Amino acid sequence: MNTFDIVIEICGSAGEGTISAGEILARFMSSQGYEIMSFDSYPAEIRGFGKCVAHTRVNLNPIYSPGKYADVLIALNDKHAISQLGFLKPDGILIYDNQPASFHEEDQSVAGMAEPGVTLYGIPLTQLAHEAAGNSRGRNMVSLGAMACLMEIPKDDFVTAIQNRYASKKQIIIDNNIDSFVLGYNWTGENIKKIDEYSFKGTEPAPPEDKLIINGNQSVARAAIDSNISFYAGYPITPATKIMEIMGKELPKTGGIMLQTEDEISAIGAVIGAGFGGKRAMTATSGPGFSLMTEFTGLAVMSEIPAVIVNSMRGGPCTGLPTKTEQSDFNIAVAGGHGDAPRIVLAPVDTTDCYEATALAFYLAEKYQTLVVLLLDFFLSNSIRNIDVPKPINPSFLSANIAPEPDQLNGYQRYRITGSGISPRTIPGTPDGMYFSTGLEHDENGRPAYDSDTHEKMTRKRFVKHGNALDEAPDVVISGDDGDLDIGVISWGSSAGAAREAVDAARAEGIKAASFSSIMISPFPEEKLKVFADRCNTLLVPELNFTGQFADFIINFLQRPVVKLNFVTGLPMASEDILEKMRELR
Amino acid sequence: MASNDHYVIAGNGPAGNAALNTLRKNDPESRITIISDESVGFYSKPRLCSYISGRIEEDELFIHEDLSFDNTRLRLGQHIQSIDPDQKIIFLSHMEKINYTKLIIASGSKPSPSPYMTQFMPYLKSITDFHEAKTHKQCIHDAQQFLVLGGDLVGFKFIDMLISMGKAATLILYPQAFWPFVLDSDMVDRITASLEPKGIRIMVNDRIQSIQDADGGYQVATLNHARNEIEEHYCDQVFAFSGMTPNIDFACKKGFDIDHGILVNEYLRTRFQDVYACGSCAQIFNPILKVYQTTIGWTNAETQGEIAALNLLGANQVTRLAPQKYFDLEGVKIKTSWWDDTDENPNPDGDF
Ligand SMILES: Cc1cc2nc3c(=O)[nH]c(=O)nc-3n(C[C@H](O)[C@H](O)[C@H](O)COP(=O)(O)OP(=O)(O)OC[C@H]3O[C@@H](n4cnc5c(N)ncnc54)[C@H](O)[C@@H]3O)c2cc1C
Repeated sequence: MNTFDIVIEICGSAGEGTISAGEILARFMSSQGYEIMSFDSYPAEIRGFGKCVAHTRVNLNPIYSPGKYADVLIALNDKHAISQLGFLKPDGILIYDNQPASFHEEDQSVAGMAEPGVTLYGIPLTQLAHEAAGNSRGRNMVSLGAMACLMEIPKDDFVTAIQNRYASKKQIIIDNNIDSFVLGYNWTGENIKKIDEYSFKGTEPAPPEDKLIINGNQSVARAAIDSNISFYAGYPITPATKIMEIMGKELPKTGGIMLQTEDEISAIGAVIGAGFGGKRAMTATSGPGFSLMTEFTGLAVMSEIPAVIVNSMRGGPCTGLPTKTEQSDFNIAVAGGHGDAPRIVLAPVDTTDCYEATALAFYLAEKYQTLVVLLLDFFLSNSIRNIDVPKPINPSFLSANIAPEPDQLNGYQRYRITGSGISPRTIPGTPDGMYFSTGLEHDENGRPAYDSDTHEKMTRKRFVKHGNALDEAPDVVISGDDGDLDIGVISWGSSAGAAREAVDAARAEGIKAASFSSIMISPFPEEKLKVFADRCNTLLVPELNFTGQFADFIINFLQRPVVKLNFVTGLPMASEDILEKMRELR
Repeated sequence: MASNDHYVIAGNGPAGNAALNTLRKNDPESRITIISDESVGFYSKPRLCSYISGRIEEDELFIHEDLSFDNTRLRLGQHIQSIDPDQKIIFLSHMEKINYTKLIIASGSKPSPSPYMTQFMPYLKSITDFHEAKTHKQCIHDAQQFLVLGGDLVGFKFIDMLISMGKAATLILYPQAFWPFVLDSDMVDRITASLEPKGIRIMVNDRIQSIQDADGGYQVATLNHARNEIEEHYCDQVFAFSGMTPNIDFACKKGFDIDHGILVNEYLRTRFQDVYACGSCAQIFNPILKVYQTTIGWTNAETQGEIAALNLLGANQVTRLAPQKYFDLEGVKIKTSWWDDTDENPNPDGDF
């Protein structure tokens, strides 16, 4: 197999064009036929000069995780880049500004702090940016030019990518960016002796296909629109705000409404209201907002109203780490709130899954008349990938409400006990289909009833319905060796990609291993996991929370110990870390 | 008790490393920074030809540097732009200032191309450091026919390497401009007698008139002044070796006494109290001859690095040259103390 794998990071201060340079780089690579995964991290503060990192992994083959260490670090800001040096490979490349406005004091320069083994390329970024465009704004483009030249990437194709990125801007902006890039490229070619071995020359990516360059949030929003959602209510919160922004733009085009509420409690209230009214509706939030919503989630479960909540997890508790990734809302998503409140939880693994899981969420919410929580995280929400254009949504997913047959309207019982647990549901306004809907325990007619018999019956009904949703679960993904295994890696959400890559690497080292993941988290495909676990000598569960919330969840029904591997660094799961643990366990 | 001193060593060759080890041994608490503008660690230049020919692997070039001390820092790929000895500040070209309390300059030497060659520079390759050796290794293996402008001892090592690899070469010698000593006609005759049977053609004093790309190689025209004849040669590669000169650009503007190299007294001290220079960048006062002399060779660099460090720590040792011994230049026995006639690992145990 043709292998080529490179991670390029651009590190700067907010406002230095770090993220847009990263975006251009990712789009360019995709346009050339490379597989990409890119991910930005930025400060929580909206104003100020915090650290921004645009991280892009480029590969010839499909990739599942962002790669922990960079091969190339472009430093636009010395102070921030110094703290990023720990993520540069020992034989990596550092491209830095060698003509800052004044001398750095000792140990304040990124070039000075680089470890032996790193190849340093000093480029007068600021000076060249001034030369190209009369100000220093184009430093990011100069640095891209320098990098492209050093990596032996053809100049003209890259220029087209810059042109496309700024196509909607004034000509002067396009020209300045291109001039800065070209000057960086040419200057480097003329003045720098390349002494490293990194190069794109001869990598021969597949001919570029019609790919969608999209992050998790965009994928969710697109699927929601394609699922004929007509109402979105929300309150802005990192990392979910982008979904709301897209809804604000796109929903009115299809006659839908985006409502910005005063807080998350209102948002979920409005979504449940719209669901009651028969509309497909959703909200998107993060941990702090989800905490506020928990009381209302019980209403959706109890009154059996479809509702979809996207929770893009960030570091918690409380307002926590707004711009860092974590998987610590597992417990609250699966079991948060009071009472026995079964809800469906889906955790997509990658950007393609985000699309498919969202379409599934609306279908399940409508069919099973309940709350569906889609668990994303900061990394999945923001990481950009070039994916195949998603398959059109299965038409049966678009209209899933089980309405009563005309004869069932005679003496209509909204909460009738059925074998499946699903009671035919009328939309308000259906003649003879009126009913009471309440958050109180109720009988089959929807009237409040507190006797033990009713509570037991209705609780069971809700759980039967929830259990049956398992039939609709997407296939679990098992990747790796057949037969008996030394190690089985069980993971969920965005960590599953890293697990899969770690398993591939471990197998190459002779460890018999496979990975297991399921998008459906609640209800969980327990039997399938048990069959997998029976093949494994050791079970390893990597996840991004401190206590191993998912691990504890599966230990419950596996009834055997697992090895937990937990990180709360705020960074995406790294296949390198899982592989290291696997080596230790072999 | 940790000393407040910050010793900086400018250069990571044998002189710099001998100084490092001496400082480490005698003042273990001090903070030491060693700076090199090469991107790789300490290696043996004498072994570069063996590495190119494939006799040794890349990792066999490198000499173990003990950097396990917390307070020792190696800065690689960092170029010294200038030094301000009054303020005791080193300015690096990536625009960082480093303060030192005491400094040892061990920046070695660099090629000194003869002025007439400058116009042909784009065609001429050389072997002066690891990077060049690595870059040119493949093309040397691929090439069959070489033209070598042989103006120095390294050029002869290169010729030996070509012979060992079964390559054909024409060597143009410039006896009067040879480095580090002039070749007399007797020496030239003996060298010719030794090399020609091994397939090396020797030309003396011929000048290059033109070099042009041709068929993946080069068409070179040379002029023999004595016979007033122009000769055309085809070769796959042209290499030039034209001697070395102290590598001291960074010291030129800042008050150091400079002739070819940085002038130091017999204790290797520059005119600044806390600044020493050693190895092939230094020009050392010879109290007997009352002249300043540059020295070359691995062993001299090592010896001087050690003495510079001891003196910096307060000793008063007079520098000495490596003991004289015979060294063989293509059958010509030369008694010298400049050059260790070996490409064996100069530090086989990794222990200085
Ligand atoms: C191919 C080859 C073969 C040789 N064979 C032999 C042999 O067989 N026997 C023998 O005795 N000698 C041989 N020599 C010569 C020998 O290697 C040198 O005499 C010796 O290395 C000199 O040591 P030094 O420490 O003074 O300088 P060097 O070894 O040249 O080291 C100088 C150091 O200073 C650093 N430096 C220079 N300028 C700057 C700056 N501005 N900023 C930062 N760092 C800087 C360089 O990066 C380097 O680390 C050979 C040389 C070559 C090139």
